[in-house]
Amino acid sequence: MAQSLVVVIGVTVITFVLTRLLPGGVARAILGPHASPPDIAQFNHDYGLDLPWPQQYLNYLWELLHGNLGFSYHLNETVVQLLSTHLPRTLILLSISTLLALVVAVPLGIMQAVRRNKLEDYFFTSVSFALYSMPPFWLALILIIWFASPPANLLPPQGPQGDISTYLDWDQMSGLILPVASLALVTIALFSRYMRSSTLDNLVQDYVRTARAKGVSNAGVLYRHVLRNALIPIITLLGLSLPGIFSGALITEAIFNYPGMGLLFWNSAQTRDYPVLLGVTVVVAVATVVGNLLADVFYAAVDPRVRVTG
Amino acid sequence: MSVRAPVPDFAGRPDFDSISQVEGGEARIAGSALAMGARVFVENRLAVAGLVVVVFMFAFCFIGPLLYRTNQINTDIYNLTAPPSPQHLLGTDSLGYDVLGRLMAGGQTSLEIGLIAAVLATTFGVIWGAVAGFVGGWLDQVMMRIVDSLLAIPTLFLLLVLAAMFTPSVPMLILIVALVAWLIPARLIRGETLSLRTREYVDAVRVMGGSGARIVLRHIIPNTIGTIMVNATFQVADAILAIAALSFLGLGVPPPSTNWGAMLSDGVSYSFEGYWWLIYPAGLAIVITVVAFNLIGDAMRDAFEVRLQKR
Repeated sequence: MAQSLVVVIGVTVITFVLTRLLPGGVARAILGPHASPPDIAQFNHDYGLDLPWPQQYLNYLWELLHGNLGFSYHLNETVVQLLSTHLPRTLILLSISTLLALVVAVPLGIMQAVRRNKLEDYFFTSVSFALYSMPPFWLALILIIWFASPPANLLPPQGPQGDISTYLDWDQMSGLILPVASLALVTIALFSRYMRSSTLDNLVQDYVRTARAKGVSNAGVLYRHVLRNALIPIITLLGLSLPGIFSGALITEAIFNYPGMGLLFWNSAQTRDYPVLLGVTVVVAVATVVGNLLADVFYAAVDPRVRVTG
Repeated sequence: MSVRAPVPDFAGRPDFDSISQVEGGEARIAGSALAMGARVFVENRLAVAGLVVVVFMFAFCFIGPLLYRTNQINTDIYNLTAPPSPQHLLGTDSLGYDVLGRLMAGGQTSLEIGLIAAVLATTFGVIWGAVAGFVGGWLDQVMMRIVDSLLAIPTLFLLLVLAAMFTPSVPMLILIVALVAWLIPARLIRGETLSLRTREYVDAVRVMGGSGARIVLRHIIPNTIGTIMVNATFQVADAILAIAALSFLGLGVPPPSTNWGAMLSDGVSYSFEGYWWLIYPAGLAIVITVVAFNLIGDAMRDAFEVRLQKR
């Protein structure tokens, strides 16, 4: 808990230092390359940029605590306003694809563990290995070529552009299929590999032998005993893979032109819109830390052998 | 907790009796650890396959252009996006460059940046982690909280912020990738150092008057060589993917220099026209290279039996 707080503060220090490292400084980034030195001095004075660094950092932290993540001079909106329209779209994309990944990966991993070193296991292990080594954007491109361009033309090549309230319409929903699939495939590869080894670890435990000796059927052992225990590490895995899932969302949104937080971030990187870049970075990092903390707490709640100390 | 799942039942589990030799002593022992690793490595067929692929990729990118001469300097506007033909074995791209030749030129950049970034990141991370773990106390706390904080920022976000701030040239790109990649080795090595620093041979060096720097550089770091090598191999794979992603997103190496990710980025605009030679070759080159490095890494991990933390 305390550690998470330290990390969150650490993240704000990093973003703060990054703003001060901007080539030419914040004023130059906002006023443009032709701003005169007096203008820059005036700007720095107005925004407190001529104060000592520690003072500036405290002011920055104070603003953050009040929900002020910055102002985009490119889009003429506050970062919070931008996020309020973009973040929900990303959350929808992420939750659908992660849920889908879990639903597919857990049975797949168990199947591979039960049928280990048989043909199916080798097949799916190779597929996961290939998916895992594949650049996510290339996977998305291939999906577009196969399903969203001539001659197939089955699905729209871009994500839904409308408001979230319209997502239940088919023409909007169908746009979500490819982005969700390309995110989920990579996650399935990772999760199923982990589920496989977690199941294997549990299959050799003493409690499995005890259950068998008591006459529990194979299916009973698998679903009543092994599955429950094998699922526990997946909680941690979910927490740990959050940063990767966020990065995946960025790429996916960029390719499918899906107007979520990732696309916002990418566009801001291209236009060098630093307030948005750093504001979103803080949000994503805090989300990661909170996600990890939740995973730890949940883990301790589910598994009485583990108690978080400190 | 290892996310890159350790595979518990790999065939032909090697004999680890000799691993006890690794503990203690100076650099000579690191040599024998390497020799042992090499032996186990050769017994693993997948790893040898991976190594063969990597060697082939290097030959393809660096020797290939000597045998298959193409013009990668001037555009050829009469031959834009030409399909594969005897003159252009893999066709030409949207500027008229020969795709096969471009694959070699782009591969040079991808491999160079990947290797150098991995070496840089590993070196820096190892020193950082060893110092933090060895010194301990508040310095360790501060150093590791810096690592934790940077790790909390998803890799691609950090890469994009840095690439947007510092307009990439090739050396800058290497620095940016390394700046993001050193965190994992730092954490791994710090963990190992915590257990290594209480060993008797460290006490022995201290009693003999060896300095802290000597203990870290001559004893602790050589004894983590297994972890270092395994991680460095995965780092190369990750770095190649990171550069590809950055270039694909338009924030990588500026033209005329190119790499596999940038080639894909150029190909995207044509994904609806059926110009498969702009999409598949570069992507396959990335996948094959990354799979090869990952196979080598996996085999080396088995060889050294180190459990690695991996995003």
